[in-house]
Amino acid sequence: MSNPAQLSIWNLLLSSIADEMGIALWRTGHSPNIRERKDFSCALFDIEGGLVAQAAHIPVHLGAMPEAIKVISRLAPWDEGDIVILNDPYLGGTHLPDITLVSPVFSKGTMLGFVANRAHHADIGGMSAGSMPVASELYQEGLIIPPLRLYRKGVRNQEVLELLLRNVRTPNERIGDLEAQIGALAIGAKRLQDLVTKHAITKVDFWMSELKNYAERLTRSAISEIPDGIYEAVDHMEGKENVLLPICVKTTVKGDTITFDFTGTAKQQEASINAVAAVTRSAVLYCIRCLLPQDTPSNEGVSRPIETIIPEESLVNATAQHAVSAGNVETSQRITDVILRSLSIALPDIIPASSAGTMSNFTFGSASGNQPFAYYETIPGGSGGGPNSPGENGIQTHMTNTLNTPTEAIETEFPVRVRNFSVRSDSGGLGEQQGGNGLVREIEFLTNMVASIVGDRRKKGALGLGGGSDGIPAQNTYIDPNGEETELEGSVQLTVQKGDRLRIETPGGGGWGKKGGID
Amino acid sequence: MKKTLAVDIGGTFTDFVEFNDGVVRTWKTPSTPQQPAQAVLSGLSGSSTQLVHGSTIATNAILERKGAKTVLITTAGFQDLLQIRRQEREKCYDLTPNRRPHVISRDGAISVNERIDAYGRIITPLTEKEISRVQKLALQSGAETFAICFLFSFLNNVHELQIARALRAAGLHVVVSSEVSPEYREYERASTTALNAFLQPTIRSYLDELSEKQPDLRIMHSAGGLTSAELASERPVSLVMSGPAGGVLGALKTAQASNLSKIITFDMGGTSTDVALCDGSPNFRNTAEIDGLTLQTSLIDIITVGAGGGSLAKIDDGGALTVGPESAGAHPGPACYGTGTEATVTDANLVLGRLRTEQLLGGKIELNLERSRTALGNIGEPSSSAKSVIEVTNATMAKAIRKVSVERGYEPEDFSLVAFGGAGPLHACELAQEVGIKKVLIPSKPGVLSAIGIGTATEVIERSETILLALSDPKINERLVQTSKKLESQIQDDFSSIGKKINLIKWSVDARYKGQAHELRTPILSPSDDLASSFHKLHEKEYGFANHKREVQIVALRCRGEGKNPHIPVFENSTNNSLNLSIEIEGTPSRLYSRDNLPKKVQGPVVITQSDTTIFIPPGWQGREDDSGNLILEYKNSE
Repeated sequence: MSNPAQLSIWNLLLSSIADEMGIALWRTGHSPNIRERKDFSCALFDIEGGLVAQAAHIPVHLGAMPEAIKVISRLAPWDEGDIVILNDPYLGGTHLPDITLVSPVFSKGTMLGFVANRAHHADIGGMSAGSMPVASELYQEGLIIPPLRLYRKGVRNQEVLELLLRNVRTPNERIGDLEAQIGALAIGAKRLQDLVTKHAITKVDFWMSELKNYAERLTRSAISEIPDGIYEAVDHMEGKENVLLPICVKTTVKGDTITFDFTGTAKQQEASINAVAAVTRSAVLYCIRCLLPQDTPSNEGVSRPIETIIPEESLVNATAQHAVSAGNVETSQRITDVILRSLSIALPDIIPASSAGTMSNFTFGSASGNQPFAYYETIPGGSGGGPNSPGENGIQTHMTNTLNTPTEAIETEFPVRVRNFSVRSDSGGLGEQQGGNGLVREIEFLTNMVASIVGDRRKKGALGLGGGSDGIPAQNTYIDPNGEETELEGSVQLTVQKGDRLRIETPGGGGWGKKGGID
Repeated sequence: MKKTLAVDIGGTFTDFVEFNDGVVRTWKTPSTPQQPAQAVLSGLSGSSTQLVHGSTIATNAILERKGAKTVLITTAGFQDLLQIRRQEREKCYDLTPNRRPHVISRDGAISVNERIDAYGRIITPLTEKEISRVQKLALQSGAETFAICFLFSFLNNVHELQIARALRAAGLHVVVSSEVSPEYREYERASTTALNAFLQPTIRSYLDELSEKQPDLRIMHSAGGLTSAELASERPVSLVMSGPAGGVLGALKTAQASNLSKIITFDMGGTSTDVALCDGSPNFRNTAEIDGLTLQTSLIDIITVGAGGGSLAKIDDGGALTVGPESAGAHPGPACYGTGTEATVTDANLVLGRLRTEQLLGGKIELNLERSRTALGNIGEPSSSAKSVIEVTNATMAKAIRKVSVERGYEPEDFSLVAFGGAGPLHACELAQEVGIKKVLIPSKPGVLSAIGIGTATEVIERSETILLALSDPKINERLVQTSKKLESQIQDDFSSIGKKINLIKWSVDARYKGQAHELRTPILSPSDDLASSFHKLHEKEYGFANHKREVQIVALRCRGEGKNPHIPVFENSTNNSLNLSIEIEGTPSRLYSRDNLPKKVQGPVVITQSDTTIFIPPGWQGREDDSGNLILEYKNSE
């Protein structure tokens, strides 16, 4: 086993590179989604494309970034100053708004590895502003960018950029965000180069590989703590016309290895809720990562003891060219729910009841005026009650951890008014430990535009556990200028007029344990 | 000259430094957390003393959630602002994310039917009927203080003021967001207002108790200056980094006496370490987070790391050695203190011979080497484990140094490291080497440097106002001129109220590219300076790029008034303890000196003990004490 002190020290050094890229991207990003909500991830890869460090930003990017590095190997050989751009969900991406930039890093002519970041852009074209439409095929969701060089040897491919900007509603914002992503890559590259200057390439390579072994040991040790056995769970996504689509998992723990088998899951749909395999792997990694010590490096080593069996053409492994925008944000949450539910059988003292289980994606925008705009946000619900604590009200859970955009920032920049942003009382499931409450968000539109909501858990609430009751499902409501209310579907797209309002009530978390004594 | 007594209340000890006509005396007493004023008053002697004070009292009150019963009064629809916050969880990989409670609970909010829009226009007027409803609810609540925060009050605070007037008329105590933190982002502003209201009664009664005994009282605030007890009581959120700010000021002044002004301060204590960078003056930021709660106040940019002398060293399941954040604390303390059995950083220093059993630690505790060896033996071979513990500790500190330097566009090698706190001087030279710093300064009284910084500080008062206009906006020049006049006259009034004169006015703007959310606090010569070019330069420095074509937006204008800065005194060394021994450190013949009895030139390996710290000079480092009493060490490997 390698030197214990050096392991810790190199963990600090390499994780700092990913962290610093994240800080730079956050502080320099332009769209509210990046600069206020931190909807991005940054990572460092070795020369073989193995993940060395990923900053703890957005879990849904966790298992998906390595896929991007694998796919771009088709563009090799590399030159210093190359930057690849991609968003194709079937070629290294997750869903179209997530634009990934990857750059090889060189030191004195020798390639050291890659730095990468992935940021959710508020618009990437397609059938509705905000690019989170209620779609039936991928082409409706926006511009598809297969992996290609945005920079070659440090020179920008202006034509690619112009094609991209012509296809989005808010080109200025896109440029600002892309510049921030490029700046962050430069910072990551510089830090890695500094490290090699100080310590020599062979040493950096050695410790990159040792850290993966270290993460692997921590993961195996955590899996060994789970009793051997086969644990099964199922939960559902809400399809068109209220059809419930099962997501199934059979979790097999044997010694220090674990297998997740999603056989039995529903077929892929002519709708946006399909997840690509990379998203499913992210959910798996997230669940395991939660069982590891906080400072465990998020790298390739974590995935070594884990096997995943993901049936093709299913909701959790869609094939081209199925629509996917909601797979990333909605189905990923349900995959997490079922994995955790299966683990709760083995680890009843650790795993909580289900959390909200939807990101309640809300987008609005317009390209018709002189000032085109597009806005995107996700609205949290309650977290599930756990064996040792009640759920929390209105907090991001599982596959996302984005902040909200302050009301004072939204109203300064967009023609809307936030009427209500508060806790949705009595929406958490009951139990010995109550589920957290969801939120109420009501927005009034001050001009005509298109708005859409993509959400789940509108029919069936977050599941309770161990005798706790389910959380209250979500509800979407349209309110006309006279105050007349109409209930809406879970996922819906509408053209709204000045004075219209939309109210989104997010689900509460499930309750945990039987409620004892008097109510 | 009047006698000045500087007091820094820390978690364990209260430090005193007395300046009396050129004669300086320092001492420590145990802190009295239950009655913090007691330790201070016990140190006072005679009414001719001026008392200057730095204190953790505001921070402790937040950590313990011990303050006034407070109610939040806010725009209807936003009553849960302090619960939802920014809606993220603190740790990404956390299955049961629970927030630490805010100082106002969910049922402690009153919603008000009123609304101002993003242009400062009234959308929903605040009616007389509504005002009296709120007044009634407030009276019924039984709360001691009321935090009023309405949306967009930084643009138009008429509704906030109307409610404030009504509540004050009813004899209630209020804090108004547009007065305490007139900056945009509603959660951060509401949180600051709530904390300020929550702290006010506690801090006021504490400072009243002190000023009764000692009318000539000055308080150190987080932005590195003194203020009056009255202004401090009005704005207790400005005190959260009071003590650490004193440390940075003390370090900077000490270094300036040795003609060094580019420094990184390194204050390593028992459980945590504070690091800050000064490029001639400290850097500042505008928000802080205390135990999960956000507050907006101007403060010196200090990074705190959860590792210090008492941090526990362990091998984790993956075979890596970790140091901290768990600490052995004061009880049981490091193994060598005689009770604990787990290895700490202090034990590692003792095993390596850098801490000595020849002298009592802090003059009080006898150190047991065998216990340290046994504790480290649980990790591996004691000496090599000790070395590993020091390496990991220094790597953690190095990361903090990179955060304040490299991440902000500074190169550490352009700076000197000023080491203080109980454990700083033990680690300073090796840490410097790790980050490429070539010069280390150890002040003559490193254990009480915060108190020295507080005792030699000057009055500093800052005021700011939101501008939120692009530089291309035709209104901006007039707005900047008007605002600067207003801020300057407010600060003039503040200084008059405490009977002092302004010596220096410093300006800065919070600026960003239009579309960004994060402002850079950009120092400028005056509000009529070329703001754009100052901002581009700073953006380039911090983030590696600037875009001269992009529009620059001025978010806020800040004015800082400073009084006249006293010089730092020279400390006389009293030679009552004069060690000069041959020792062995890791098999190398070395010398042990007491600080009072240094030879003209010291050359590592050397250990120097003094009553408040121990200094370790590794091989390759050498230096001397200069005329200011500072020990200046330089790395000269070739010799």
